Amino acid sequence: MADLIVKDLKLRLGDNEILKGVSVSVTPGQVVALLGPSGSGKTTLLRAVAGLEVPFAGSISIGDNVFFDAARKIDLAAEKRGLGLVFQSYALWPHRTVFDNVGYGLKLRNRPAAEIKERVEKTLGQIGLGHLAERFPHQLSGGQQQRVAIARALVYEPPVILLDEPLSNLDAKLREEARAWLRTLIVTLGLSAIHVTHDQVEAMAIADKIVLLNAGTIAQEGPPTALYNDPQSLFTAEFMGSNNRLDGTLVDVSGGKATMEVFGEKITGLARTTAAKGSKVVGISRLERVHCSSTPGPNRLKMELKAPMYLGERWELVFTREHLTVRAYANAPLQPGEHYVEFPQDALWVF
Amino acid sequence: MPIVVYRFLVLGITTLAVAMPLSLVFYQSFLTAPFFDPSAKASFAAYSFVFSDDDFWQAFWTTIAIASGMAAIAVPLGALLAFLMVRTDVPGKKYLEPLLLIPIFVSAVVIAFGYVVAIGPVGIFSTLAKEVLGFVPWNLYSLWSLIIIAGLTHVPHVYLYSAAALRGLSTDLEEAARVSGANPFQVAINVSLPMIMPAILFAGVLVFFLGFELFGLPLVLGDPQDVLVLATYLYKLTNKLGVPSYQLMAVVVVVIIGVTAPLVFMQRLLLRQAQRYISVRGKGQKTQPLRLRSWRWFAFGVIVLWLVVTVVVPLFGITLRSFVVTWGEGVKLRDVLTLDHYRELMDYPNVIRGIINTFGIGVIGGALAVACYTAIALAVHRWNSGWTRLVDYIVMVPRAMPGLIAGLALLWVFLFVPFLSPLKSTMGSIWLAYTIVWLAYGMRLVSGTLLQVGPELEEAGRVSGASDLQVKRDITIPLIKYGMLASWLLIFLIFVREYSTGIYLLGPGTEVIGSLLVSLWGTGAVDLVSALSVVNVVMIGAGLAVAIRLGVRLHG
Repeated sequence: MADLIVKDLKLRLGDNEILKGVSVSVTPGQVVALLGPSGSGKTTLLRAVAGLEVPFAGSISIGDNVFFDAARKIDLAAEKRGLGLVFQSYALWPHRTVFDNVGYGLKLRNRPAAEIKERVEKTLGQIGLGHLAERFPHQLSGGQQQRVAIARALVYEPPVILLDEPLSNLDAKLREEARAWLRTLIVTLGLSAIHVTHDQVEAMAIADKIVLLNAGTIAQEGPPTALYNDPQSLFTAEFMGSNNRLDGTLVDVSGGKATMEVFGEKITGLARTTAAKGSKVVGISRLERVHCSSTPGPNRLKMELKAPMYLGERWELVFTREHLTVRAYANAPLQPGEHYVEFPQDALWVF
Repeated sequence: MPIVVYRFLVLGITTLAVAMPLSLVFYQSFLTAPFFDPSAKASFAAYSFVFSDDDFWQAFWTTIAIASGMAAIAVPLGALLAFLMVRTDVPGKKYLEPLLLIPIFVSAVVIAFGYVVAIGPVGIFSTLAKEVLGFVPWNLYSLWSLIIIAGLTHVPHVYLYSAAALRGLSTDLEEAARVSGANPFQVAINVSLPMIMPAILFAGVLVFFLGFELFGLPLVLGDPQDVLVLATYLYKLTNKLGVPSYQLMAVVVVVIIGVTAPLVFMQRLLLRQAQRYISVRGKGQKTQPLRLRSWRWFAFGVIVLWLVVTVVVPLFGITLRSFVVTWGEGVKLRDVLTLDHYRELMDYPNVIRGIINTFGIGVIGGALAVACYTAIALAVHRWNSGWTRLVDYIVMVPRAMPGLIAGLALLWVFLFVPFLSPLKSTMGSIWLAYTIVWLAYGMRLVSGTLLQVGPELEEAGRVSGASDLQVKRDITIPLIKYGMLASWLLIFLIFVREYSTGIYLLGPGTEVIGSLLVSLWGTGAVDLVSALSVVNVVMIGAGLAVAIRLGVRLHG
């Protein structure tokens, strides 16, 4: 099987340009997460791949099988693309049993009844719902419905399975379990998948590659570790993880390091900016990399501890100084009052 | 078959079915003789004849007066009724609700006959009043009586739209007024009704529009005083010149459509605005009805009084009349009781055919009509194209043609188009006319059901490998099955009730109860008319009972 290749896709809904030239590729066995805030175009991109939205430029293909090509005026109907799609609302047909929901795709492919029965049962077995085949969707729990929706998309062995926020309708606790279950299923069956989500933790947990979208363009793409540990833009840095934001003035850039001035103190981090000296810059540092100390030192700011909060496995500390608020984690509570907050050089990006 | 072919096929057939009768009427109005007459020439003669006829202008202004008077009566009463039923703890709401809708479902001619035999000059209640008081304190045959009866029988139309709007309003607005010191009546006048003004306005235009369509009431109640409205003027015109004056009738039809078409368009705009208002609904919390306290039974009394005047009097009158030999001063009930009128019905083959045909058009014709409406709705459903707007307008056009006119136009189509003429004297012609006349209503029923099908259910079918038409067959239609069943029941009720559409198409083989009633009334056969009316009401009552039993919402 060949790669799924989306090339320079542009799409308009009404007057709104939702996708402004997006390219994505999925190699066999790879799970790609489309991540982004709401309105970034991630679901639209997924629907365009499925054939439910029509772009006005670009192309979508798997090997020689061209799904869409604006230049050559090719637009293969959704039913001819042979992909599997799991809807956010699951979209199980309420008038069909679980068996008939899952078996419909095979029936449309004119498979003999015996084969349909065998393959539906096998797929339901894989998702652990073999005993519920005769139920109707409304007789199932939310988690079970979600599994049926996945089974329905898997049963005819599509080259790529598309998942549109499949976990967002589950409550928080169930979501974490389902996430682990889904990742295991994908790895065991060796599936290729595109997974749309707005939850960066979910994206990192499930995907081999993350494509981060921002307002219809790709902000950054790469393995989860790259996006988390090496953001190339302020948007990526702020979207991934929980962050502290320092506003300051750039005083020096050299050897990949940038130094900014905050409250008259010099703070140095990794340079991610080409701005001139004296311009306003932003420093971003992950919460878990900030720590605090009782003495002054390099890259430390004097701040006042306002509110320690107990989170169970650790404490969260909130420091303030004028307009600046900094949050950090600690294993033990500290006394309210003045402390020195350190931003380690290798964990601060200056944009 | 590719979906595009299906769509344009349906679009083409629908356009043809709607445009043919309409364009034929326009064409005819500019001729000097019936269109099939070889001597017919193009001219404005028919227009100048009609516009110089005093009777026409008399009928035109009477129609305006009746339509306005009706709206003036029905709008405040309907709005108030909606407030009482939706928002307050008026007693017996559960039982009142279906009764309120009876005037919508009972044929207007039946109601009119009912009034004549109940409170006409020698009516049951009139003679009773004369015995007690020595005189009859009302005069049924006057313009004012006509306006009042038309107004009262159209209260339910206003009620339906106002009630729907009120249900969408958050109750805390009313509770706030109550806490601030307003009594229930003040709450209604100052808070609730102003909030649903767009819906009330819509209902007002609707009632005015229905006033232009009015045919059964003025035919029966206006005739003795020579009160003509446009529809009855048209009906009388048939023989005004001794020969069928098609061109004159066509001109009157053009005038009526010239008034109703803008009204239909206006209703469309207003409805959209009204619905925008409704969308400002609160959360779906259980609402506490406003407590009327001492006003409770007074309000109940007002509603019951309206029901007695509008429903009980005519229906009781017609029923009693169908069981007595004669009625007049000094007649004792037990001396005149009889079942003869019902036995007599059986002596007339055309009446028997009419009863069978009416049932058939309701059950079979209704099912076929719903199938057609569904076919059109499915063709437009999820069609991302400007053509859907065209369909919207085409579907609206027949709404501007009152049944009488649509029946006439269809008759001409059957005369005009050679390969259709064999259909003319079959129930096929009646079915086609009914289906076209109720196109807008039926489409609203079916599209309302289709709206409830989530788009992702259909998209899931597409992605699984089903073509557009397979999705419609395997997913959409099974999902709207119950909605289609409900639509069938409502269309049954309407087809059984219909009287004006079949009048011009009436002939051997195309008898339906409604048009038979009108023609029998013309011959003065009160006994037969009463019995046949009761048969009609019983059929509708049975349909209503089934609908209520199945939990069908009686209003689209």
